[in-house]
Amino acid sequence: MKNKTKRTNNACKEQRAAYLFLIPALLGLTLITYIPLLAVFGISLTDLNVGHFIKGGTMPPVQFVGFQNFREIFQNPNIDFLNSIKVTVVFALLAVVCSIVYSMLIAMLLNRKMPARGFFRAVFYIPYILPAASVMISWWFLLKYDGGLINYILVNLGLGKSYFLSAANTAIPSLAMIAVWTSGNLIVIFLAGLQNVPRVYHEAAEIDGANAWQRFWNITIPCMTPIIFYNLLMSLVVNLQVVVPALAVTKGGPGKSTMFMTYLMYQIGFRGRELGQAGAIAFVFFIVAAILAFILFATSKSWIYNEGGDDQK
Amino acid sequence: MKTKKLLALLLCAMMVSALFACAQPAAPATEAPAAEATEAAAAETTEAPPAEKVTLTFSLWGDPAEQEVTQKTLDVYNNSQDKVYVQALQIGRDEYNEKLQTMATAGEMPDCGMVAEDTVIGWAKDGLLMDIDIYAGQENLPLDYLAFKYDGKTVAYSAANEVLALWYNKAMFDAAGIPYPPTSLDQAWTWDQFVEVAKQLTIDANGKHPGDAGFNKDNIVQYGAYVNQYTWQLEVWALSNGGSFFSPDGKSVVFDDAAIEAIQKVVDLHLVDNVAPLNDGTQDNGFTSSIGAGNVAMCTEGQWATGFRGAGFDGIDYGVAVLPYMKEKVTIATGGPTGVFATTKHPQEAADFLRWYNSEENGMNTIMAGWWMPTKQNYYTDETLLKSWVDDCAFRAALPADAYKTAIVDVALDTNVTHQSAWYYTPNMFDVIRTLQPAMVEAINGSKTVKEVIDSVRDAMQANLG
Repeated sequence: MKNKTKRTNNACKEQRAAYLFLIPALLGLTLITYIPLLAVFGISLTDLNVGHFIKGGTMPPVQFVGFQNFREIFQNPNIDFLNSIKVTVVFALLAVVCSIVYSMLIAMLLNRKMPARGFFRAVFYIPYILPAASVMISWWFLLKYDGGLINYILVNLGLGKSYFLSAANTAIPSLAMIAVWTSGNLIVIFLAGLQNVPRVYHEAAEIDGANAWQRFWNITIPCMTPIIFYNLLMSLVVNLQVVVPALAVTKGGPGKSTMFMTYLMYQIGFRGRELGQAGAIAFVFFIVAAILAFILFATSKSWIYNEGGDDQK
Repeated sequence: MKTKKLLALLLCAMMVSALFACAQPAAPATEAPAAEATEAAAAETTEAPPAEKVTLTFSLWGDPAEQEVTQKTLDVYNNSQDKVYVQALQIGRDEYNEKLQTMATAGEMPDCGMVAEDTVIGWAKDGLLMDIDIYAGQENLPLDYLAFKYDGKTVAYSAANEVLALWYNKAMFDAAGIPYPPTSLDQAWTWDQFVEVAKQLTIDANGKHPGDAGFNKDNIVQYGAYVNQYTWQLEVWALSNGGSFFSPDGKSVVFDDAAIEAIQKVVDLHLVDNVAPLNDGTQDNGFTSSIGAGNVAMCTEGQWATGFRGAGFDGIDYGVAVLPYMKEKVTIATGGPTGVFATTKHPQEAADFLRWYNSEENGMNTIMAGWWMPTKQNYYTDETLLKSWVDDCAFRAALPADAYKTAIVDVALDTNVTHQSAWYYTPNMFDVIRTLQPAMVEAINGSKTVKEVIDSVRDAMQANLG
């Protein structure tokens, strides 16, 4: 009985300590994330314009407009926010799926014993640390219709030219390809995960006569599912926030094919000065990202193989 | 146990204090405003302002070389009088508007500075620009078309004058045995003549021209023409064909059949005539991408192309000519404006400084570098003054100067020929360009006609005009 009481007291103390240690993180989250999020929602319910900040300026006072901004962004064909949601989600899904497959394959290759392995690991990681705008502009030069290296190669191979970033139907796949090329961080994380797959499982399967594909599908993949989940989540968040390609190269075109949510928000808020509408776009963007992340979390239990299980004590 | 508790508390206290330390400003805002702090380095060359002087912040964009020239100009102003001290706030061109608008939300815009052409009227409309005429009461005024007007009032002036012209690579013309393009309006090429010459100058890998049997449009090694397809520059072709983009009061979208036909002709240089590379207008698409790249014989570009000879393109011998025309012989003018911002506490001092800064005497470095033309009329009409920036400028003399005078100076002086770009009088031009430019790429790549594109964005552009 005495032991049980002691354990309970210890557990309480540990809990108190845990909460104490959480305070700084919670403070940071509240001040830097949740309060600004609420502020954005508040702004989205007004007609706030940059001009309102000018004392004695020409703008009439700020008005509370309810959900007018939300109606405006969805119903005004000039803003066409539904199109932005569509192109952003399509780009993000394409980039995420291709990045995960590409990174996994490269990580498996880099995990094998081979000459100059360290060099090749660096080569595949470098695109991730290059300045994003420079990467986009360099690719724009490579993918140019006239004078671009890729089209030069295609022509000399006897294949036809492609418009790549200069046509609506090829712009998103081209940008997804660039996103895949820059996914060096995913490769590093996969590599770390692959090195933690227990060797004994592979040895046992080899003794039982399993071939390479069977070992990959039934041992490597299940053991890697927590890592795949993490990479999926990180990649999804990063690719939903895509803005650099539009900012640096496509300007939202051709047509509206790369008018990503964040770029539209930037244009309306930072260039068009309509902070209320930009706030509405930001808030809906948050909802869309949250829904996709929720779907990922909700389905994760059915396909993630956790050896240790949750810490639910 | 007590030690552990103490340690835990200590750690927590450290983390919390670290958090607040991060949130502390480096210095009280009254002592060193963030905007001013960024300029400390730029202002090093002049002495700190005496307490009784009015301090003005002047914002501008430009590369390091331009920043150095600007700082020297400010040093001259600061040392020339003892009432006002001006410090530069250098901001990258790409984030210039965003930075100033963010400063506006804090009520701390610079006192005066450069303004992006496509946002001048929008800023005036939203109250970010003061409607102060810096030349009020003055005698020697800039050319009329260089004034940005909102609601009938002048809100900004261009600090430089620029007109569009035709530029050509002399060596390519010499190699083809074709005479250089005409340098005076009375001899200007028609559009068809221009396309015909461009065909003769376009060569594929086998030396064939468009129209020759076996010409391979996918393997062109030299293009005849390159028409700058920035949205604002396309307007010149609409005017040339007797059409227009906007109504004269800037309140209505026109884009009539003549304007659409004109832009289709420009787009067809690539799609049909095969004399121009695909140019979707998203990146720099003027001189540097064409004549500067060494594979294009002619391009359209503003007068600032004069300055490329001194900026790494001195190996290419190029000349200037008048634009070809469709029905009317026209060009358009523009020039980066400066304005007084609404939050300034010293509007008169800011206006006085801008008038000084915009004057030719104090901006001669940039004029002689070829980038700018003067804004004041007397610099075009007075022989001595004209000589000082045309004949005496090595870059203009190389074009040569006589060609420059007829293709640029005479054209700039003729107000029947030189029209204002739309952003001098059209509100929200930035939003119009934001809508039209990406849409136009679908016409440029041939997946839609120009008419289909314009019809698809006409209502949106009208909404942009407000």
